[in-house]
Amino acid sequence: MLSYVLKRLAQGILTVWFIATATFFAMHNVPGDPLTNDRAMTDTTRANLEAKYGLDQPITTQYLIFLRNLSRGDFGISFVQENREVNDIIREHFPVSAMLGVLAVIFAATGGVLFGALTALYRNRFPDYLIMFLVIMGISVPSFVVAALSQLSLVTFNNLIGFTVLPVAGWGTILHMLVPALVLGLSTMAYLTRLMRSSMLEVTSSDYVRTAKSKGVPATRIFTRHQLRNAILPVVTVLGPAIAAITTGGFVVELVFAIPGLGRYFVEAVQQLDYTVIMGTTVFYGAFLVFMVIIVDVVYGLIDPRVRLET
Amino acid sequence: MSELSASSFAPIEAHQQTQVISRPSLSYWQDAWIRLKANKRALVSLYIVIGLLLFTIAGPLVWQVDPAIQDIEQISQPPGTDRGATIVPDYEPWFGTQGLPGSGLRLAEPANSQTVRMQWDALPGANGHRVYRNLFPVGSELAYGIPLAEFLNNDTLYFEDRLDLQPGRFYYSVVALDARGQITDQYQSLTVDLERVTTLQEALERGLIDTADNIQIGDEIELAWHPLGTDYLGRDLLARLMAGARVSLFIGIGAPFLFVLFGVVYGSAAGFMGGRADQLMMRFADFVVALPFLLFMILFKIAFGIGPGESGVFPMLVAMVVLLWPATARLVRGQILQIREQGYISASQLLGANTSYLIMRHMIPNTLGVVLVTVTFAIPSAIFTEAFLSFIGMGVAPPTPSWGSMSNEGIKTMLTTPHELFFPALFISFTVLAFNLLGDGLRDALDARMRNVE
Amino acid sequence: MSADGKKLNADAPLLEVENLHVEFDTYGGTVEAVRGVDITVEQGQTLAIVGESGCGKSVTVQSIMGLIPMPPGRITAGSARLRGHEVLGRNRIDGKEIRGREIGMIFQDPMTSLNPTMSIGAQIAEPLQVHRGYSATDAFAEAVRLLEMSKIPEAAKRARQYPFEFSGGMLQRAMIAMAISCKPSILIADEPTTALDVTIQAQILDLMQALQKETGMAIILITHDLGVVARMADEVAVMYAGRVVEHGSADDVFYRSAHPYTVGLKEAMPTNDPALQHELKPIEGSPPDLFAPPRGCGYCARCPHAMQVCDVQPPSDHFLHDHHFSRCWLHHEQAPIKPETIYFKDAKA
Repeated sequence: MLSYVLKRLAQGILTVWFIATATFFAMHNVPGDPLTNDRAMTDTTRANLEAKYGLDQPITTQYLIFLRNLSRGDFGISFVQENREVNDIIREHFPVSAMLGVLAVIFAATGGVLFGALTALYRNRFPDYLIMFLVIMGISVPSFVVAALSQLSLVTFNNLIGFTVLPVAGWGTILHMLVPALVLGLSTMAYLTRLMRSSMLEVTSSDYVRTAKSKGVPATRIFTRHQLRNAILPVVTVLGPAIAAITTGGFVVELVFAIPGLGRYFVEAVQQLDYTVIMGTTVFYGAFLVFMVIIVDVVYGLIDPRVRLET
Repeated sequence: MSELSASSFAPIEAHQQTQVISRPSLSYWQDAWIRLKANKRALVSLYIVIGLLLFTIAGPLVWQVDPAIQDIEQISQPPGTDRGATIVPDYEPWFGTQGLPGSGLRLAEPANSQTVRMQWDALPGANGHRVYRNLFPVGSELAYGIPLAEFLNNDTLYFEDRLDLQPGRFYYSVVALDARGQITDQYQSLTVDLERVTTLQEALERGLIDTADNIQIGDEIELAWHPLGTDYLGRDLLARLMAGARVSLFIGIGAPFLFVLFGVVYGSAAGFMGGRADQLMMRFADFVVALPFLLFMILFKIAFGIGPGESGVFPMLVAMVVLLWPATARLVRGQILQIREQGYISASQLLGANTSYLIMRHMIPNTLGVVLVTVTFAIPSAIFTEAFLSFIGMGVAPPTPSWGSMSNEGIKTMLTTPHELFFPALFISFTVLAFNLLGDGLRDALDARMRNVE
Repeated sequence: MSADGKKLNADAPLLEVENLHVEFDTYGGTVEAVRGVDITVEQGQTLAIVGESGCGKSVTVQSIMGLIPMPPGRITAGSARLRGHEVLGRNRIDGKEIRGREIGMIFQDPMTSLNPTMSIGAQIAEPLQVHRGYSATDAFAEAVRLLEMSKIPEAAKRARQYPFEFSGGMLQRAMIAMAISCKPSILIADEPTTALDVTIQAQILDLMQALQKETGMAIILITHDLGVVARMADEVAVMYAGRVVEHGSADDVFYRSAHPYTVGLKEAMPTNDPALQHELKPIEGSPPDLFAPPRGCGYCARCPHAMQVCDVQPPSDHFLHDHHFSRCWLHHEQAPIKPETIYFKDAKA
């Protein structure tokens, strides 16, 4: 088991390195240099920045400087918001996105497994049809529409009740997080429901479930120990990338609900071509994604003995 | 049991023993087509997809309205609104009406979409006045709305509003200013309903009437019809949706086709070559997957020299193709590896088949099913991606329409003019839904292994 | 059984299946998989059900166990009585009183028939926990003992391992251990050795016989291999196209075969007896399409002795002696060919 984890970690570091390198060279092959934006910048600032990042040096030297800074965890200073370190930006806003993301994933995973199992159990009966209809809607309606509509209904709901049951925007308490997290996790929940459903159906018609039935094992026990355990495997596999996608793609929800998360700042940086923020956030997100996938793989290894014993 | 005669025991004829083949034998594709047709949802989706393609390609030929033309008098009109407009004389400047009867804030003449003329008497204690306009009544919170004009003395007691006039209801307020020019609580409000008007000149220019029709001042004419309404710049929504369909579907279908094609070639090569080459190729694919999509989208946009606020259809396409092929490649490679192990390949080889025959006759047809399904599912994903990118301003920018950018514009006025969001979002949802259901149906029909057991 | 047949024992049979009809709804139509099957199993006896793929043998036993999913499947007629109690048509949840307790079952492919995420010991222990109320530890200990009984070396270590760490033969032994854990009165084995090597086959069959001797349970053995039948069976039922075409003791069916299909099967069997120097004779043709089953005898299209009546009416039972019966028009008094000339070629009286 340990060797499995170490191997995955090593692969992960390699991947992060690759992302950083690709990002670096991509940004440097773009016409113009990062400082050619019409922003008022004093000559001394410009000179300082040039010196710090070695922008006047050949590209290989710049790359080495970049790697060196990266290994120290120094992502540099924002080009746009002067005197603000990228690390600070990340440190301040990532936890917000992460909390939102984790909550969304919890909603998506529990909802997906629960509803998927339900549709498989009640196959071709009313609960199945209802849930699948909602699922199809869930994957067809674009996220920004869902976000906007949910906010609208929240306003209406609050008006009906007379007081603010759930806050409509902003960040702070757990109440602020509930609706945005739900909205964020909705499309993933729909996807996981479908996945769980087909997985369950496949498992249900498998030989080993037939064997369990032939042993006279009661239906509930078959459900938990034989069906659920095996059906959940594909869902767990997908969970890793899903977590990362949710956390990094929460931009829309952050925008609509006025949540100060990292996604929003990233896109703003992109629109303003804030070089260091773009680089830093990209590498950070990349590392986060890799890390999440590793965790999920480890969990998968815990559930499915074939994986951990075969490698 | 019936009576058995001696003849019943006569030996049977040979032809009676031939097996009657009760069902005709079907080829793989025929069988798949029958299954697909049996699947009601998939069939309906297929029709929707075909309908959409017709809408995009043939639509503009039927509904020949230029999506860029602005119908100023019908800005943000939901479908089905009254299109009548009265002809009025051309505009002439106004400087107040002498001897206007009545008192307080009142209209000098009926308000219309050309101009709103109002006059008032000086409010007690006012050292000047400010004119406001709101879409909602002022109410107790004193929400006056947008300030239109300010007069720092009491000499001017009239005002003509020509700003962005739309038929409908406005709430005007005149607020008294104090000695320092700040607003006070003293105000007067006026509810004004605007009638839609246009001049002869404009009507002629826009082709709404003909000189031969002999239209006079005061006659009512009908403005252009917009079946789905207009957007915030007065552009016909239906025409924009058609034009937007072109962009959205071009990317939504074009990108998946391209990256699936590339993925198929790459994956087949890897699967077929096997060994080290395969390992290397797959490692590279893994790395490409790790690359952040949004970032590279932006970088491509910059690289193509497209600034913020400009449309980046081509970079979007390139970015999607370059970054999204690995999933398909892996899928196809897996298929090829599986097929290679199958008995019929060895059998075929033993019978003397060469490599190209194996590829053409055995491998490709057996992967086509998987590929087709992948494409069908990649399309809604691509459409969403385009919508999302346009939404955050990284894709198509105004004035080029795409369903995503139209939704983006629509969200801003969601509360007041919901139709501007509703229609593009509906089209996106329908398209995505149709392709998803079609993909499901294709998967069920084409491959027993992949079948979603229902 | 009908009045003509005399049963060997006076006691009621352990399991009696009468006129079973099972259908399936598929997208291509309705398949009549089982079209009137009668079988009986006595205490401590081994009944072999022989037939080609698709003849309905698995569906028959799975219906008795209540393992046929009832939406696409349907039992349209017939009854199955275990010790006189009807078991067919019982709601599947109640069926658990029989499944795993009175009747144990093992399947053809042990690799896919075991839960990959549960240890072997836990899976063997499961029926003990469910039916006998054993605690988890007690059940596991018993599972280890059962593995030893099934001749699996290092049973304690093996019990903690997972299915993918076992070979096919060992998995089948584990399945057997699992099926007999609650000491059932019948063990149903659905082609248990088809997926295994010949040498392993022999071991598994030996194991089954040894366990039978020890526990006195009956065995229903489904196979298409006549060699297995010869080795294991007391009674044999030959099935074709959803019907039983011949039923009798092993001796009767082998040496006094009374149906053209049985004869065909025997002649298609390879033998290493140097005295018999004849070519392998396969049975020409393929089984009938059960979407539109033949209205007469199912074997008619492939039978070298088919007559007009065979195409038109299904033959009735003809009893030879004891409880040995056959369903073939050749036994009818009006049949021109004397059956003895076909069947009793190698007769040993």
